[in-house]
Amino acid sequence: MSLFRATGLNVEVTGSPYPILREVEFSVDPGEILALVGESGSGKTMAALAVMGLLPFGVDMTAGEVQLEGKNLARPHGVVEREASQISMIFQQPVGALNPTMRVGSQVARAIQINQQVDRSSALQTAIEMIGHVGIAGPERVARSYPHQLSGGMCQRIMIAMAISCKPRLLIADEPTTALDVTVQAQIFELIKALVEEIGCGVIFITHDLGAVVEMADRVAVMYGGQVMEELPVVELLNHPTHPYTRYLLESVVQEVDHRIRDVGVDFALTGCRFGHRCLLAHDSCNEYPTLREISPGHRLSCFAEITEAP
Amino acid sequence: MRRVATSLLTILGIVVVVFFIVRVLPGDAAAVRAGPYANQELIDQIADKYGLNDPLHVQFVDYVSGVAQGDLGISIRTNQSVTRELLDRLPASLELAVYSVVLATVVGVSLGVLSAHRQNTWVDRLSRIFAVVGSAMALFWLGLLLTFFFAFKWGWFPGPVDRLAVGSEDPGTFTGFYTIDGILSGRPDITMEAFRYLALPVITLAFVLAAPILKMVRSAMIEALDSDFVRTAKAVGVPRTQILFVDGFRNALIPVTTTIGIVFGFMLGGNILVEFLFSWPGIGRYAFDAITTRDLEALQGFVVFVGVMYVFLNMVIDIAYAIIDPRIRLGSGLTK
Amino acid sequence: MTQTPEPSPKKPADSQFVIQRVYVPEEQSLPGRWLSFMRSNPLFTVGLILLTMFVGLAAIGPFFVGDPLRTNITEMFSPPSAEHWFGTDEYGRDVFSRAVNAARLDLSIGLIIALVAMVIGSTVGVVSGYFGGRVDEIIMRLTDILLAFPGFVLALIIVAALDESLLNVVIAVAAAYVPYFIRLTRAQALIEREQEYADAARLAGNTPLRVAFRHVMPNSLRPALVSATLVTGWAVLTVAGLAFLSVGIQPPQAEWGVMVGEGAGDIITGEWWTSLFPGGMIVLAVMAFHFIGDDLTEATA
Repeated sequence: MSLFRATGLNVEVTGSPYPILREVEFSVDPGEILALVGESGSGKTMAALAVMGLLPFGVDMTAGEVQLEGKNLARPHGVVEREASQISMIFQQPVGALNPTMRVGSQVARAIQINQQVDRSSALQTAIEMIGHVGIAGPERVARSYPHQLSGGMCQRIMIAMAISCKPRLLIADEPTTALDVTVQAQIFELIKALVEEIGCGVIFITHDLGAVVEMADRVAVMYGGQVMEELPVVELLNHPTHPYTRYLLESVVQEVDHRIRDVGVDFALTGCRFGHRCLLAHDSCNEYPTLREISPGHRLSCFAEITEAP
Repeated sequence: MRRVATSLLTILGIVVVVFFIVRVLPGDAAAVRAGPYANQELIDQIADKYGLNDPLHVQFVDYVSGVAQGDLGISIRTNQSVTRELLDRLPASLELAVYSVVLATVVGVSLGVLSAHRQNTWVDRLSRIFAVVGSAMALFWLGLLLTFFFAFKWGWFPGPVDRLAVGSEDPGTFTGFYTIDGILSGRPDITMEAFRYLALPVITLAFVLAAPILKMVRSAMIEALDSDFVRTAKAVGVPRTQILFVDGFRNALIPVTTTIGIVFGFMLGGNILVEFLFSWPGIGRYAFDAITTRDLEALQGFVVFVGVMYVFLNMVIDIAYAIIDPRIRLGSGLTK
Repeated sequence: MTQTPEPSPKKPADSQFVIQRVYVPEEQSLPGRWLSFMRSNPLFTVGLILLTMFVGLAAIGPFFVGDPLRTNITEMFSPPSAEHWFGTDEYGRDVFSRAVNAARLDLSIGLIIALVAMVIGSTVGVVSGYFGGRVDEIIMRLTDILLAFPGFVLALIIVAALDESLLNVVIAVAAAYVPYFIRLTRAQALIEREQEYADAARLAGNTPLRVAFRHVMPNSLRPALVSATLVTGWAVLTVAGLAFLSVGIQPPQAEWGVMVGEGAGDIITGEWWTSLFPGGMIVLAVMAFHFIGDDLTEATA
């Protein structure tokens, strides 16, 4: 029984007839880490924001269900009623994501106060504990600091502390280490994995780094142009990638020295499958929108091509 | 400490510039001062009295040392110390300035915050029109308009006569602010009267001053509300009003403070027009009288005085920055 | 691990795959485009209309109205009527004809001031921004000092020190706005001098002066040009303000500020048309410049 399931997510920008997210679906099991992968502009961040109910002004969710432990959080008119104790999120540029005029300890304490109905001083106490728990030495001193006085890695830990303190069932991490050093990156990954084990929450891990995917994730959803192309366990990704786009990604990545997906400048086909105009296997039926179908247990595919599998 | 030094240098620069303008630019400094009806004898007298025949550098040193001691010269028209006369009139101008800026800030900030919060609603549209009209407004015309309607036609407020009605008693001088002195000396009716006379000039000034404040508050708020940290606060579940004020407004304060500073600076100049229009006995009025009588000494003193106040104001603003923004206060030393 | 799959025998029909992400609006007819422009930039449109009206008024108005200086005591203080659209003042002069003549004076003087300030300010600004170092420091110090005075006060004292002539008014008010242009162009020059074309010009062997003026300066002028409209508005306001105090331009000259000054006292006795009409024209003209200038600044920000 899955912890979290998003189905039929459609997100549109006011004034544009082409939705930026089309029939997006993915799910997460308890204690599982799902990686949401794609190039810049593939819609992965938008999907996360849609689920969180944090879509910016002018962008609306026109359809979709957001199920957390069986309960649909989506309301009419694209509103998502979500509390931080249900789904929590950490963002990309950690220093910028914290209020520059507030001490970090107070910011974490505020999150605790709001989500756990405790008073100010015990919230602050808990905040300091949490800051220590995410691996920061000298938490009392750090709690009194301002974001600009801390390094990127520390700020990200603070954000994680803030998110975790709400005791969420699902944590969404949007490229949490893209702006950080490689060494710090590894530490943050370890931290997230440890917390997942401890709390038993699910994680949606958004990234364009396939190396991180292999290291962190249990399952992967590959996105392109606002469409989920393939959803499969990581093991399958390495051994039996099926979708033409997935294979194209892996191939282009293997040729690079580092394993990050390069920005090619995303453009998508306006009708039918969004990869259709670039796909070598494209044919007439690709003018229809391919829905996700299960081709083997835990492995879903959105494609009309009949792929001959390589052994 | 360094700020004090730069400020002093700026003041010196001001003195130099003013000196240049007032002593060097006019062809014959003494003749200009003596006025168009003077004869040669009078001109010579004046040249002697003010040392205008001395070589320039001597004049300059004299003047600067005078200024350093607070002596801004002697007014040609009244033969009094310029410094004394300016200080006498300062409370009147300050009272006007303070109330105007306060009103402008209250209006500007509330409309700006409201506008940013509810963008593209009628509140926002109206505020923006107000902002544009306010920035283009001719102060003296607005003052006349308001006087015409409120004083002349409808009699809500008294006409431009002075700070109090002719014949009213002067409350004891505690602060120089009639509104406060009235209460302090046990005469609340004087306070009320002072407010009635303050009303029109303050409204006129506040109307024009509120415009830039409104614009800045609105744009700073919008930028703050668009930022990443507001998104984090929303993700965590912080209620909307708290986001507006703690995350939005606190971060918008820096540019807003700058604007308030600029506004106060403008006050020092706009004051001449308003004080003239409403017959307000402040330093602006003094400057105007100095102009019409070609009292260059007094004018010179006025400009230096204003320049010094402006520099002082900037120092206060810098201190305010440090209080508001921890990035400025604490520097960017990283805690490891 | 992976193998490139065989291409399918069927080729995609090109017309069905549109490689573009941007929504292209349908082409509109010319008047249609004007209408939608006007609707989305209402203030700008209003400003433009007002400005055209004023320019028209200033250019050809004086030929159609009566003599602005002609007095007629018998008609003094007559309220607005069919014969005297804006009424007459205390000397029996037709306020409307004075106001129209004043338009010519005020607008042209405002424009001249803005241009003078822009030319001087931009040149100094480019020099300061491009050459940097000591020169820049000195210029910035001077600019700071000039900016320590509210513009109006600075203009005031300069006019008071010199004698009353139109030229001096232009000099004085322009001086008040020169620092603004210096700052503006300097900031742009700082950016421009790092651009590739500047490098190219330097490498081609041009003297620093030539690079600064022939190459960097034209590109640094954009913000200044955009602000020129706004500054024209401010200049008109300042000149009128000074004239209101009888500084610079004085009675009986037909100038908006002068007229307001002359008519200010009349308000108490109820003759509002002598000052409120000319003042209103000032406000409208400045607003026109503001509407246009604001939109231009926002559009190019």
